[in-house]
Amino acid sequence: MTMTLNEIPSFDTTNSGRERTSTALDDLDSVVEMYQPRVFRYLLATLRDRDAAETLTQETFLRAWTARDTFRSDCSLATWLIRIALNLARDHTRTGRFRFWKSVSANALDATDVASSVPTHDLSAEARLIAQQQVANIWQTVDGLSERQRTVFLLRFLEEMEIPEIAQATGMPLSTVKSHLYRALAIVRTEHGRASQTFNQAAKETA
Amino acid sequence: MTPLFNSKDNDLRELAMDRDRAKGLHLTSDHFGDLLGRGVSEAASPEAEWVDAHLLACQQCSAELAELRQSLALFRDATSAYADEQMRQRPQLVPVRRAQVRWLVPTYWAAAAAAMLLTALLPLQVLRQHSSSAQPAAVAASATGSSAIDHSQSDEALLDDVDREVSASVPTPMQALADPSASNASTSTDISDSSSSQRKN
Repeated sequence: MTMTLNEIPSFDTTNSGRERTSTALDDLDSVVEMYQPRVFRYLLATLRDRDAAETLTQETFLRAWTARDTFRSDCSLATWLIRIALNLARDHTRTGRFRFWKSVSANALDATDVASSVPTHDLSAEARLIAQQQVANIWQTVDGLSERQRTVFLLRFLEEMEIPEIAQATGMPLSTVKSHLYRALAIVRTEHGRASQTFNQAAKETA
Repeated sequence: MTPLFNSKDNDLRELAMDRDRAKGLHLTSDHFGDLLGRGVSEAASPEAEWVDAHLLACQQCSAELAELRQSLALFRDATSAYADEQMRQRPQLVPVRRAQVRWLVPTYWAAAAAAMLLTALLPLQVLRQHSSSAQPAAVAASATGSSAIDHSQSDEALLDDVDREVSASVPTPMQALADPSASNASTSTDISDSSSSQRKN
């Protein structure tokens, strides 16, 4: 059973009773309110399973709370939380159980579900269709990336993190982050070009 | 504002563009990676100038870059919108105020206490049920006892009758044969006596 985030008690001393310096995590309500959407979004895009994303989001904040004394402010709180989240996601995806349930789970996300969430306020019907097709294509391509490529890609293009921040969150050297990012982009670009070509061909035939 | 290229650079740039066009050169995946993946705080690669110049001259590459940028932005917007919608649909993910939790905590304790109380009371209730079911049995047993006393009394009376009849020299039904001179009245009295004693039994 997962513990509710806000059931965590608020007190100013550690278990040993000694005084500890206050951290950004002391006001857990504010931290959760501010960073929960981001952590959940990243986990949802990584795991593609709503229940697992929800559980690991709660687990992320629980871990952050229990390890709040180790937060040294050498990176931003967002980076630290994302680091916890991606470690949890990595542990989760390495279990055989996850791989099995991913293939059969009713909670597994479909690319079209996500693509239908494209903001289409001022788009024509045709432009909307093209936009949804582009999003679905990237969503599917990202699923086929290696674990590291996917992590770096999502942190860069979903969370809009800078490459040094990604290096801090993943614990990879800068050059490795760049290498994975460039490979991921090369795959996305190839698939994007292929999909565009197919779409344009179909549009010409219809016309 | 300083111009991006001076006249000499412009000449060189034109030469480079002509050469690229002649060779059919376009940006590679690494160039696209550099353009898309590079953050604002990072320094441009040594080839950045050439890449920028190429983009100004090559419509194909600039169109592809624009399309990729747009697709990635759509991917981010769509994923964010979808995740936000999922969070709204799942109220347990919305942070609960600590005040609400404070209100909930005694409820949890009360529920736990009630469960423990029930667990403790259950054996007592079972015990009570046992004792109440034992009570009618005792009543039945006492009733059985009183009927046993009645039985023993009637048995004693019967035995007394048997003793009396056995100890008599002539059995009561044969009294008339043994003493023919006896009056009918006495015989009838004896018979009525014996029948009354039998009725008593």
